[in-house]
Amino acid sequence: MTGGAPAELLVSLGTLKDVAGIMGSFVFTDDGRLVAREIPALFDDTALFEASGRLTRLRETFAAVGDHLDVAVVRFRDHKLYLKVLGGGVLCIVAEGGVNMPALRMAANLVGRRIVPALERAAQEPAPPAVAARPPALAPPGMRRFRGHAVE
Amino acid sequence: MSSGAKLGAGAAPVAREQAVGFHAKLEGASLWDLVQMECLARSRLAVEVAGEGGLGYLFFDAGRVVHASTLRNRGQAAALEILSWTRGTFQPTTRSWPLAPSIEMSHEALLLHAAKQRDERASNLVAFPGRGAEAALEEIEILDVDPDGFAPDGFAPDGFAPEGFAQEGSSEEEVTGVAAQPPAGLEEGKMNVRNPNFDEASGAPLAPRAESAADFPVMLRLSAQGAVLRNKGGSEELAEATAYAHRLVQLTGELLGLEDFVALECSFGSDRFIVFTENAGEVVALRPRPELSLQALRERLGL
Repeated sequence: MTGGAPAELLVSLGTLKDVAGIMGSFVFTDDGRLVAREIPALFDDTALFEASGRLTRLRETFAAVGDHLDVAVVRFRDHKLYLKVLGGGVLCIVAEGGVNMPALRMAANLVGRRIVPALERAAQEPAPPAVAARPPALAPPGMRRFRGHAVE
Repeated sequence: MSSGAKLGAGAAPVAREQAVGFHAKLEGASLWDLVQMECLARSRLAVEVAGEGGLGYLFFDAGRVVHASTLRNRGQAAALEILSWTRGTFQPTTRSWPLAPSIEMSHEALLLHAAKQRDERASNLVAFPGRGAEAALEEIEILDVDPDGFAPDGFAPDGFAPEGFAQEGSSEEEVTGVAAQPPAGLEEGKMNVRNPNFDEASGAPLAPRAESAADFPVMLRLSAQGAVLRNKGGSEELAEATAYAHRLVQLTGELLGLEDFVALECSFGSDRFIVFTENAGEVVALRPRPELSLQALRERLGL
């Protein structure tokens, strides 16, 4: 995913780190597909994929009662998650609890404007096909045995 | 009932006259608080509770409610019946002790059980739009729970208004005040009690009770299990959406290793919606008026 993310998206996301306390950010499309990340490897792709799906459902939950989300701030004990809905998807910023919120909002607005075209293009791309289930791993040659007989 | 007044902890079941301590004349005390107080004091004491369901007896020993009886029930069922009463008196009695304890659970578990029963009753009573505002407000009043147990962390006694939003006529006095003059028929050492699941302190609907309540057209309080404990202006769908949104952000936090959800603020155009967790996992959701400054609330919630 990240390898295929438009460079302009990654560069823009990187500028968010100018604000002290911002740990990183990622972007996902309206259908919850992660399209770019600029966040330490500590946050692995799988977690970001799943988080994107859940945050998409959060949007859908409010939309179901007539509230169309623009911005959300989630406060955890030591961290904050800042979500900004853009054309085609959502910018999600992970920050420390004490981050300067006005600076974060301003940076998110500027970055949001810059990444909308790339995000819209990414949103229009067809979703990658689901990864086919891998066949069960075979035992190494020479160790494939069944009832005492070698099986190749 | 946080006045600190106590009904005297005695070492013997009924020898209250010899016990060191104060006799109290309280009005408006919460039955649940009195039970907790006796348990925390590790009193060995039999108490007669006269409520709307008749007479009941609670037996305290070593920090637990060890036995209870009413006309209809014995043991835990009797204790839960008594804890469901909404008003009455609470006084020591000379009633004979049971041969063996009939209640095994801790007093905390007993109160939780009573609270769960209250929630279950409450979830059937919540009034939602379409039933008429008057009826809705009347029913919402029935769902009010103990202000002092319901409004931790600076939340005003009506259970919703956050710190920094002053309320008129705080019911703190109603809850903690010791009656200067015992009301007619109230003997020394007797306490008038009210049940924390019933707020009779105010006969008025929610909004007029506190001016700041008008700043929040929608106020919801959900139990950790999602039961609607209190609702002003919210629909069933909004309560469901709140419960689900709360769960989603909790899970997202866990996924990303952020953990310990505190609060969520959403902006929808000019509307905003705030969800936060309080003690015991209760979830509070507020929709403020669009023009209301949320600075104080944001600071308190760390948003």
